[in-house]
Amino acid sequence: MNVVRWWWGLVLAFGLLALMRFFLPLPFANEVMIFAIYVMGCNFLLGQVGFISFGQPAYLAVGAYAAAFYLYYVGSNAYVGILLGIVAGIVVSLVIGPLFVKLRSDYFALVNLALAVIIFYLMQKVLAEVTHGDNGLWFLTNLAATPVLDLSRPDQFFIFSFLVAFALWALYKYLDDSIFGACCLAAKINEDKLTFLGYSNFNIRLAAFVIANTTTALAGAMYAVYLGFVSPEITSPARAADPVVVTILGGVGTLYGPIVGSVVYTGMKDLISKAVGNWELVIGFVLVVIMLGGEKGIWGSLQPRLQQVFARAGIFGRTGGDS
Amino acid sequence: MTDPHLLVSGIIFGLSMGSIFFLMAIGLSLCFGLMRVISLDQLLYYAVGAYITYSISLATGNLWLGVLGGVAVGALAGFAAERLIYLRIYERDITFSMITSFGVLIGGVGIIKFVWGLVPRPVPMPIASQLDIFGTEVPVYRLVVVAIALLVYVGIWLFLNRTIIGKAIRAGIEDVEHVEGLGINVYRLFSLTFIIAGGLSGLAGGLHAPLIMVDPQMGLEVLAFAFMIVIIGGLGSIKGTLVSAFLVGQVVSLGSLVYAPLAQMAPFAIMLLILLIKPTGLYGSLLLKR
Repeated sequence: MNVVRWWWGLVLAFGLLALMRFFLPLPFANEVMIFAIYVMGCNFLLGQVGFISFGQPAYLAVGAYAAAFYLYYVGSNAYVGILLGIVAGIVVSLVIGPLFVKLRSDYFALVNLALAVIIFYLMQKVLAEVTHGDNGLWFLTNLAATPVLDLSRPDQFFIFSFLVAFALWALYKYLDDSIFGACCLAAKINEDKLTFLGYSNFNIRLAAFVIANTTTALAGAMYAVYLGFVSPEITSPARAADPVVVTILGGVGTLYGPIVGSVVYTGMKDLISKAVGNWELVIGFVLVVIMLGGEKGIWGSLQPRLQQVFARAGIFGRTGGDS
Repeated sequence: MTDPHLLVSGIIFGLSMGSIFFLMAIGLSLCFGLMRVISLDQLLYYAVGAYITYSISLATGNLWLGVLGGVAVGALAGFAAERLIYLRIYERDITFSMITSFGVLIGGVGIIKFVWGLVPRPVPMPIASQLDIFGTEVPVYRLVVVAIALLVYVGIWLFLNRTIIGKAIRAGIEDVEHVEGLGINVYRLFSLTFIIAGGLSGLAGGLHAPLIMVDPQMGLEVLAFAFMIVIIGGLGSIKGTLVSAFLVGQVVSLGSLVYAPLAQMAPFAIMLLILLIKPTGLYGSLLLKR
């Protein structure tokens, strides 16, 4: 495989993102990066494996609370907190994965929603002594300066989240090209044939489930570190569809969809809630229009045109079916 | 065990909760059964029904007029959504309708916020009197709600089993192509189902309004419950919806007597359990698996 061809899109996209840092306010840039990581997991589940999940906030909360517990009660190193978030994500999805991945896609969505609700009440009421209920855990002052990149400072946190997102992108791009990615797609399109080829449907789905939800848990841990605060609000059922909405907004199953989606979504949310104070109306309307318009999302509709432009300019010859 | 007074009022509370849940979930269930769409916007009509009830009962002082208005507006909204949106997406994948209708729900919440504002509104109770059951005072209104829900169930049952249109709808739930082959216009049936579903969701909202504060997020708050009830009962089954609605109502109500925080979680735990044992829900038939 041509190395340049493999990397150029990635570098271009992240070059633009790095540029964004200089023109847009820092909190916005940080939020976009974390949100993009959050959506990546959902995008992989929905686009490659065909699982729609209304319960991503559950895994977000798992990561966030794992990091928060450590930072509030035990230590002060943000890196360890994030690492613990990842570990918690892997453990939780390995435990519940075998039960969940056997379900049909629509039931899967609802069972995940149920999980998000359970975790919400668990954190809000049942474990209130540990999680401080609705007041949440505040540990911003507990964060010690970390070596290399000081995660307690927003500007350095941006560099960190930028690097993490870049690494994850490379990982997902690699997965898309690998046999595993092909198997995931096959599990989405025709599971019988996949079994016929000698692959275990269950194993493929479980692996995809764990990868996607660990990504989400990582995003949760990063939220916790960035905000220095975690409350049950993070897994509130009312926000359960956010990642799905953004995934579709960006374009399902496309590699750059999550980043386009989260830039647009976060931007819209900021601008509209400032201007109108009623962003639900707009986001609902946009969602319906996109769905009726053909489900491709922003990036999904842009991509063929961009390819045409590039092909005409001769920068990057016949791309064919390669995305 | 617990105080018998608490137990009686708990059971009545659970029954009335279950009735509301039933009316709310029946639309979802019908729409899935016949058209294979997951119509989350039913919860919007529930909220709209509650708000219309609030406005009309504020203007006229009569709650029942308000509830009627809620039913009418719910049915109209359901019809409009069907004509404008669902007509274009019947052919698509089921998750597709789930996401689209979620867009409608969110957009509708935005409209509600725009029209009625953010502040929760109280709706006065129409029947203040109490009834004596085993020495426990029980609000009559809750019993009326239960009675209405049971009437609706009987009505739907009669409609589906005794009228020719109802029979066509039931046949459509089994096999749409065959019904079309008989020369019946299925799309008219679809519209009718949406009108019924929207009206019943509006009814649920109108009846629920005096028991809670009406606020813009109310549809989203019960979203998880409505879903859960349909899933436990089995998608597309009316009887299953009734049984699971009352089951969940009792679990929520009696569970809160035992240990309050658990009450909200317990139904979801039950749903997980039932789905893992019987993935089609209590009364869902394998026929519906598509």
